[in-house]
Amino acid sequence: MGTATATSTGTDTAAGAPVFSVEGLWKVFGPKADRVPADPELTALPPAELRSRTGCTAAVRDVSFDVRKGEVFVVMGLSGSGKSTLVRCLTRLIEPTSGRIAIDGEDVLGMDRARLRELRRHRASMVFQHFGLLPHRSVLDNVAYGLEIQGVGRSERRSRAREVVAKVGLEGMEQRRPGQLSGGQQQRVGLARALAVDPEVLLFDEPFSALDPLIRRDMQEEVVRLHREEGRTMVFITHDLNEALKLGDRIALMRDGQVVQLGTPEEIVGSPADDYVREFVREVPREQVMTVRTAMRAPESAEEAGRGPAVAPDATVSEAIEAVARTGTPARVVDEGRCVGVVDSEALLGVVAGVPAGETPLVPKQPAPLPVRRTRGKAGADEEAV
Amino acid sequence: MATVTAPTVRTPLPGFLKHRVLAKLTLLALAAAVLVPVVNARWASGSWPDALTVDLSEPLGRASDWIIDNRDSHPLFLYFFGHVSNAVVLSVRAVYLVLLAAGWAGVTAVAALVAWRAAGLRLALGTAVAFLACGLLGMWVPTMQTLALMVVAVLASAVLGAALGLAAGLSDRTYRALRPVLDTMQVLPAFAYLLPVVLVFGIGVPAAVLATVVYAAPPMARLTALGLRGADHGVLEAAASLGATARQRLVTARLPLARKELLLGLNQTIMMALSMAVIASVIGAGGLGDRVYQALASVDVGAALAAGIPIVLLAVVLDRVTGAAGDRLGGDGPETSARLRALQWAGAAALAVAVAVAVRLAGRLEWPGTWTVNIAEPVNRAVDWMTAHLYSGVPYVGGTADWAGHFTTWVLDPLRSSLQGLPWWSVLLIVATLAWLIGTWRTALTAVLAMAAIGVLGVWEPSLDTLSQVLAAVAVTLVLGLATGVAAARSDRVERLLRPVLDVFQTMPQFVYLIPVVALFGVGRAPAVAAAVVYALPAVVRITAQGLRQVDPAALESARSLGASSGQQLRQVQLPLARPALLLAVNQGVVLVLAVVIIGGLVGGGALGYDVVFGLAQGDLATGLVAGVAIVCLGLVLDRVTQPTERRTAKGA
Repeated sequence: MGTATATSTGTDTAAGAPVFSVEGLWKVFGPKADRVPADPELTALPPAELRSRTGCTAAVRDVSFDVRKGEVFVVMGLSGSGKSTLVRCLTRLIEPTSGRIAIDGEDVLGMDRARLRELRRHRASMVFQHFGLLPHRSVLDNVAYGLEIQGVGRSERRSRAREVVAKVGLEGMEQRRPGQLSGGQQQRVGLARALAVDPEVLLFDEPFSALDPLIRRDMQEEVVRLHREEGRTMVFITHDLNEALKLGDRIALMRDGQVVQLGTPEEIVGSPADDYVREFVREVPREQVMTVRTAMRAPESAEEAGRGPAVAPDATVSEAIEAVARTGTPARVVDEGRCVGVVDSEALLGVVAGVPAGETPLVPKQPAPLPVRRTRGKAGADEEAV
Repeated sequence: MATVTAPTVRTPLPGFLKHRVLAKLTLLALAAAVLVPVVNARWASGSWPDALTVDLSEPLGRASDWIIDNRDSHPLFLYFFGHVSNAVVLSVRAVYLVLLAAGWAGVTAVAALVAWRAAGLRLALGTAVAFLACGLLGMWVPTMQTLALMVVAVLASAVLGAALGLAAGLSDRTYRALRPVLDTMQVLPAFAYLLPVVLVFGIGVPAAVLATVVYAAPPMARLTALGLRGADHGVLEAAASLGATARQRLVTARLPLARKELLLGLNQTIMMALSMAVIASVIGAGGLGDRVYQALASVDVGAALAAGIPIVLLAVVLDRVTGAAGDRLGGDGPETSARLRALQWAGAAALAVAVAVAVRLAGRLEWPGTWTVNIAEPVNRAVDWMTAHLYSGVPYVGGTADWAGHFTTWVLDPLRSSLQGLPWWSVLLIVATLAWLIGTWRTALTAVLAMAAIGVLGVWEPSLDTLSQVLAAVAVTLVLGLATGVAAARSDRVERLLRPVLDVFQTMPQFVYLIPVVALFGVGRAPAVAAAVVYALPAVVRITAQGLRQVDPAALESARSLGASSGQQLRQVQLPLARPALLLAVNQGVVLVLAVVIIGGLVGGGALGYDVVFGLAQGDLATGLVAGVAIVCLGLVLDRVTQPTERRTAKGA
C-alpha cells in the first residue's frame, strides 16, 4: 500500500514518457460498427438507445489515457463497463473500431501482422482471468510457451522458465499439470508465463477475480512485490475497488464504456467526479487511502512546526492517527527535512468522517495538488447546503 | 388455497403449447381440405399413382451398362478411378502380406504390445487372448483379410475425416455446409452406400474399401470439427496474446485441446469401419464377413457363429483399446519424459519382433491346423436340437418359430396391409403432421419430399413393407427399452448388471446380430425385426437411463421433500424433465432399427433390403440403386419425423 502511493506521487510530479498512449478509442460491436464513432449524432446516444437504433453496442466509448513508464495503471469498473474489451484493444486481441493507440510512440493500429506479433511476443504480455493454461502441458512447458512461440530453443527456454517459476514461488511443481494445481497456483503459472518473455508491459485482465479472498490477497501482494522489485509497467483490470486502491498508482474508473474519472486512489476517494463515483467509493475506509497531505494545515507558529512526531507527506491518514494518538500532540508533516504542515486530531477525524475539519480550512503554503482544493470546495458546498 | 393456486400455475404452459399445436394442425387440415379432393379426383388410388412415377431403371441400366463397357477404356476410369482402385488393391494386398509375413505369433505379439502401451496390461492380455481365439476357431486367415481391409480403410477414413473436420473446424462456412451432410450420412443405413461404389468400381475389394471409407469418415470429420470449435476460447486467446501465428495456435493449442474428441472420432471411425467391412462382404470384401454371409445364405448357423465370434472379439478389443487410450491421454497424470516413452516403445517393438522371428524360425508361421477347434458342428447339432424341440409345439408357451409366425401374421401382416392400403396422400399427410408437430416446417417439408420421392421412384409398396417392419420393431424396442431404462435408472443393481452387457452389445457390428436370430427364428421378416430390436435396444436403454439419472437432483429432492411417492417422482418429475433424452432415445431407436431391418433383406426380410441384395447378386444395378435411394429417403423421413429441433428441446427442458 505504502509503496503504491509513494510511486503515485512520484510519477505525478515527474511524468515520464507514456508507454501506452490511448486517444479517442472506440470499440463498437454490431453491424456496420464503423459508422458509429464517426457520427456525432450516434455518439451522443445513451447505450440502450444506440442499441435499439443501430443494433450496435459500444463497449468502449471515446477513451483516452496515458500509461506512464513504471506505474501500475488500474482500469476499474463493473461487469459490462468495457474494461476487458479496452485491455484487449491495447494489443489488438480485439480490433478497435477507431481511435489511436501508441506504444512508446509507435502506432499500434498501423502495425502489420508481423510487427503486431512482435509487440505481443516481446513488449506486452497478458495474464487472464481464467488463466488460459494448456491442460496437456506441464507447468514448466506452460511457462515456457511464450518463449516456444518466439522460437527459443528447448533447453534455453526451459532454463529461463525454471527461473521464473521459482520467482513466483512454484518450485517443485514444474512437472505437474495445470489440472493438479489450485486456482491460485494456476494463476501463478499464468503470471510466470507472462513474465517469462520479459515484456515491457504486463497486462492483467481481472486476474484474481476467480480466486478465493485469502488467495486473492496473497496474489495481490505478489504483484506488489514484483512491481517493487522490477518496476515493470502494469495495466491492471479489475472490478474490485479495494484491489484497485491497493495496487493502483492511478485508476481509470469506467462506466458504460466511458472513463468517468481518472486519478490517483486519493483523488478518486477524496474528490469523486460525480455521484456514480461517490456512491462507488462511499464504503472505502478513507483513512487508509487519503494521505496526510490532504488533511494538513499550515503550522500556526514556529513552535508548533518544531514539536510533535514527524510523518511523511504521503503517509496515510491512519498512520498519522497512530502517531497523534500515541503522543497526544499534533504531528508535523516533514518533507525532505522541512516542515510543510501540521495535522491535528480534528483534521484527521474530519478525513475519517468525510467532512472538513475545524472552523477555517487553511490553504497550505505548498501549491497543493488540485484534488485537495476540489475537496475543500466540494465540502464547503456541502456545508452551505446544511 | 392450494386447490385454487395449483391450476392457475399449471395451465399457462400446456395451454400455450396446445395453442401452437392446434395452430399447426388447423393449418395442415386446411391445406389437406384444399389439396386432397383435387389430388384424389385426379389420381384416385390406394397405392402411389402410376402416373406420378418415373421409371429410372432404364436410364440407370443404360448408365450401368455404359460404365461396364467403358471401364477399361474411358479416360475417367483409366486415369482416375483406375488409379484409385489399383492403389486400394495394392495397399490392402501389402498390408495382408505383411500380416501373413509376421505370422500368427508376430501379429498377436504386436497387437498385444500396442494394447499394452496404449491401454495397459489387462487389455493387452485381452487382446492376445482374442487373437488366439480367432486362430483357435480356424478363422486366422479371414481375420487377417478383414484386418488388412480395415487397416487401409481406417487410415483412409481417418485422414479424410480429419481433413474435412479441420476445414469445418477452422472455417464457419465449411462447417455450415458440411454439418447437415454429415448429420444425414450418420443416420443412413450402411446398405445405402454399397450400390454407388459398386456402380463405379464393380464388385471387389476396391468397392468394399471405398464404401467403408465413405461410411466411416463422417464421425471422424464431425468430432474433429466439434473438438476444434469447442476448444477453450481462453486458451486460444492466451496463445494469441503471446504472439502465436495462426499455425502455431493450431498446432500447439487447438489440436492438443481437441485430442479427446480426435481420439473419440478415431474410435467411432474404427467401429463403423469394422461394421461396414463386414457388411461389405456382400460386395466382395472377403474375410470374416464373407464367411458369415456365405453361411447365412445356406442357413449354416454353426459356420456363421465361428466367423461371427472373431468379429465380435475384434470389435470389443478395438473399442476398448482405443477408448482406454483416449482416457489415458485425457488424464492429468504427471508427464513422463519423451525419452522414457520412446524407450518403452522401442523395447516393446523389439520384443514383438523377437517373438515373430522366433516363431518364424521354428517354422510355425501359419496357424497350426491341429490347434483349431471346430465349433460349427456342435453348434449346428444344438441348432438342430432347437429346431426339433423349441421351434414349435412346446407346451403352453409355443415355440420360437410359432412366435415368429404369430408375430408375422398378427402384427407385421396387418400393419403392412394397412399401410399399403392407406391412400398415398394420407401417408404424406401423416408424415407432414408428425414431422411438423415435433420439428419445424423445414423438417416437415424435407420429410414429405423424401416420402414423395419414394413414390416417384416406383418403390412405394416395398418401402411401406420396410416401414411396417421398422414400425413394429420400433414399438417393441421402445416398450422394452424404456422399461429397462427406467429400471436401470431407478436401481443401481440393475444398472451394474446391465452395463457390461450394454457395453458389449453396443460395440458389435450390425451384421453379427443376424446369426442368433436365424438360429432361433429361421428366416423371414420376424427374424429381421428381432435382430433390429436387439441391435437398437442397448442404445435406447442407455439413453433413457442416462436421461433419467441426469434429471436435476434439486427438482427431485424438492419433490421428495413434498412427500411424493416414487411413482409420482417418476411420472411428475423424472419423465417430464428427461423428455429431451427420451425423444433422443426414440430417434436413435428408429435410426438403428432401420439399419438392421434393411440388412434383414439377407435373411428373408424382403422389401428394400432384398432389392439391394438382389440387385447386387443379379448384376441388376438399376433395381438395387433405386432401392438404395429409397432407403436414403426412408432414412431421412424417419429421422426428420422423430428429430425434435433445438428450440423445442429447449422449451421442453
